[in-house]
Amino acid sequence: MTPLLEARELTFGYRKGEPILRGISVRLDAGERLGVAGGNGAGKTTLLWCLLGLLPAEGSIRLFGERVTRKSWRRIGVVFQNPEDQLFMPSILDDAALPLLNRGLAPAEARPRAMEALEVMGLAHEAERPAAELSLGQRKRAALAAALAPEPELLLLDEPTAELDRPSARRLAELLRSTHTACLITSHDLDFLGRTVHRLALLASGRILACGPVAEVLSNGRLLEDAGVL
Amino acid sequence: MRVPRAARLLLPVLVFAAFLVVLQAWGGRIDWWLPVRTIAVAAAVLVAVRLVPWAALLRRVGPGSRFYAAALYLWMLRHFTSILLAETRRVLLAQRLAAPRRWGRGWFASLASALAAVFARVLVRAERFYAAQLLRGIGR
Ligand SMILES: Nc1ncnc2c1ncn2[C@@H]1O[C@H](COP(=O)(O)OP(=O)(O)OP(=O)(O)O)[C@@H](O)[C@H]1O
Ligand SMILES: [Mg+2]
Repeated sequence: MTPLLEARELTFGYRKGEPILRGISVRLDAGERLGVAGGNGAGKTTLLWCLLGLLPAEGSIRLFGERVTRKSWRRIGVVFQNPEDQLFMPSILDDAALPLLNRGLAPAEARPRAMEALEVMGLAHEAERPAAELSLGQRKRAALAAALAPEPELLLLDEPTAELDRPSARRLAELLRSTHTACLITSHDLDFLGRTVHRLALLASGRILACGPVAEVLSNGRLLEDAGVL
Repeated sequence: MRVPRAARLLLPVLVFAAFLVVLQAWGGRIDWWLPVRTIAVAAAVLVAVRLVPWAALLRRVGPGSRFYAAALYLWMLRHFTSILLAETRRVLLAQRLAAPRRWGRGWFASLASALAAVFARVLVRAERFYAAQLLRGIGR
């Protein structure tokens, strides 16, 4: 079976001679949820951007068995670390409906589905408001709703729980567990990762320190300390 | 179609210039110099921001110097320009991810919204920046 996502020996630096990622390999199969944990500046966001083809990394990246192009984005849902960067439509309902419309759904179909996604994120009452009028945590939930609405084959989530209160984080974990969407999730929230992902990779100094079943990795305190997440 | 990066950063300025022309056409007389100058100034600022070693200049001109206020003013101008560029880049990226089908349904409307959002967000960030400077006792 070809993996949904396969990256080999990714190397990338923003400046010449200062690599941020040093030979990273990751693989994600259909229906699998992979966590990436690491301290501030470990390179988690950089890794996601490379995987999306937004930064020119050396090495090979295959999404759905092909090279990354604009076309591959049609099958992916992305949530940026900073939710403000992602919501720009007149209302968050429009934000959530946009990916559906753009993928070919009629407005009469797209809006109810977008509304449903907002409801799941507990934002039904705010649907007609622009993101600028919402709290940071609400914006993150709106960005999550927009990413989840089209039911993509693959979700890339950058610190999805950083701004969420505990009940919202718990609900998100339940939601992700109840779908069969493959996810790659970066986070420092070990509790959330423990509930959500199957496998966990620890990223430190641009390398993968360890990668394995989540319970196994989380039980190794030394390793977590070395990775700067404990 | 690949659009060069610098040209893409100038896109909001081009839209603004076009907006000026439309306004003038509405008023009945078009002065073509106005949009041309708008674009020229934006391009010049873009080049200046890239080429001048601003941080070194500001450090050289200490708070005691007569040029300090001017240097600080230029520094802030540079700061706002970089905010404008960064916001533009980010919003356009988000728009590309949310609407990956170019010319597909909602693509054009979302592009327009994205560009409008750039201006709104730059204003918000400018306010926030000003508040931060006030708290630090720099603003007047
Ligand atoms: N635009 C940029 N230009 C230069 N260096 C950058 C840029 N963005 C990030 N970096 C550097 O790359 C490294 C990794 O940053 P990255 O944002 O990927 O970390 P992260 O693991 O996501 O951290 P956090 O937990 O804070 O989100 C950092 O050392 C940072 O200084
Ligand atoms: Mg990050």
